[in-house]
Amino acid sequence: MTDSPSHGQVLLRCEHVSACRGEREVVRDANVELRAGELVALLGPNGAGKSTLLDALAGVIAPAHGRIERHGRVAVALQSPDLARRSVLANVTVALDWWGVPRPEREERAREALRTMGAEHLAQRPAASLSGGERRRVHIARSLAVRPDILMLDEPFAGLDPEARANLLEDAASALRSGTRATLVVVHDRAEAWALADRLLVLIDGLLVASGPPRELLEHPPSAVVARFLGFDGVLEEAGEVLLTRPPHVTLDPDGPLRARVTRAVPLEDGVRLELELELGRGRLYTVAQLPAPRVGDSVGVRIQGGARFSLSAAPAAGADSGAQATVASGVPQERSP
Amino acid sequence: MHLLWEELRVAVPLIFHGNPYLLSVIWFTVKVAAVATVLAAAIGLPIGLTIGLGRFRGRRALQVCANASLGLPPVIVGLFLFLLFVPEGPLASLQLQNTKRAIYIAQTILALPYIVALTAAAIQGLPPGLLGQARTLGAGRRQLSTLALREARIGVMAAVIAALGSALAEVGAIVIVGGNLYGFDQTLASAALYDANAAHYAQAVAVGIVLIVLILILMCGLGVLQQSGGGIRMRFRTAA
Repeated sequence: MTDSPSHGQVLLRCEHVSACRGEREVVRDANVELRAGELVALLGPNGAGKSTLLDALAGVIAPAHGRIERHGRVAVALQSPDLARRSVLANVTVALDWWGVPRPEREERAREALRTMGAEHLAQRPAASLSGGERRRVHIARSLAVRPDILMLDEPFAGLDPEARANLLEDAASALRSGTRATLVVVHDRAEAWALADRLLVLIDGLLVASGPPRELLEHPPSAVVARFLGFDGVLEEAGEVLLTRPPHVTLDPDGPLRARVTRAVPLEDGVRLELELELGRGRLYTVAQLPAPRVGDSVGVRIQGGARFSLSAAPAAGADSGAQATVASGVPQERSP
Repeated sequence: MHLLWEELRVAVPLIFHGNPYLLSVIWFTVKVAAVATVLAAAIGLPIGLTIGLGRFRGRRALQVCANASLGLPPVIVGLFLFLLFVPEGPLASLQLQNTKRAIYIAQTILALPYIVALTAAAIQGLPPGLLGQARTLGAGRRQLSTLALREARIGVMAAVIAALGSALAEVGAIVIVGGNLYGFDQTLASAALYDANAAHYAQAVAVGIVLIVLILILMCGLGVLQQSGGGIRMRFRTAA
């Protein structure tokens, strides 16, 4: 493209797209819009169909149904960061060759992309000698170097140890931002989505069940299924409604209005994660308590501040995991405008 | 044991004597092996690439056929070619019976399956993300082929080595299509067969020793090239 897209311009629009892997329909009725300047994270559990949706959006596979409009060229960084057995710089320049970049521009653009990803010092290293984190950096740099209008990355932080992942995430968060490019990143870790995205798409069991800014979705999850996926693992049933909570919503307070018994205690780096069985079978909550923490079997007072409330018919029962499927099966995908 | 020792004792001086017959057989053997391997590579590499890179219906069937043809009996290949080339055969007008060209054709056909099957297997053994990523970044057919050959070069070289080995050592087809005419279209392998049949055991042993040494030299040379990757890297280099 000779003209760069303007900020906010729609670069990709898909309507009612379904996609299959073999004979199996993995993604159903997906509606997605990507705009220039936007960084969108596609989040979902393993097997939800994230990579299939990305492949369909990128044109790697043909959708079974629906329509996809792309305005500009799409580059995809596949999940597996396989590099050719040559130098890092050669790996990036050859990608520019594939993309059709004139030879005189290739090296400078390759070095710039490597610099952006904090990998310029690796330029002359053989790709085979790179660590997992370095390999991921080069893999992302290769896709950045071609300067696509739409960039899609499939789980770019998969398989890294926590330290390498944290370092790469910090660098990628700024490197992936561009005022003229639409970027879609598939992740299955919520922390990665929070660190990167302007907007979050939640895909569960092949359906897009939520779309919106991460903070907004976290504060006001649109459905119990989304809430459960976003970490609302505590359940309190009351008067035909259910209150779903995240650990920060629940505090131990001897004067709290609820009484519970500690049924499980898992030590963490910064405290103890407690599972609390509420009296009268009203539900089960989770919180992180500071040391010294109550022990299993202790009776404690509990106070709840915040959480998300849903009608009991649509919400999962206390401790049940099947609620997500029940709601998705009966529900219509809930899309919010970005 | 005594006979073998006696024949060896006579055979070794024959090798170093500079026998013109032996030299002409060595030269023709190298020529046949080189021509057959180059032709098989020229025909087989594109087919191997197509099977290895392809995402088309029938690719698996082609791969199975290529693998199965590794077991082609040379004598049967020779017999079919002979029946094609005889004056009553459908290709009689080409006048190939008992010619050197018929030998080149037979050895090329026997070397071809090694190039096709082993190249396809080497490419299919590449990490799936490597070629997939190239496709998503816009690599065309030629660029994908270059990448695949370059990355699978150790396997491709193994295919070439196997093809060369076949072209050097196979004897069944060439004695049928070429007639194994003394001093005219004999390779080392067919000359050894000729001499053994004629009870010229010392000459057969001499020819056999030369063939083994030739095979070892060529195979070792290609093996070193394969492991270093040097020659191939130069040929397939496309960018910095």
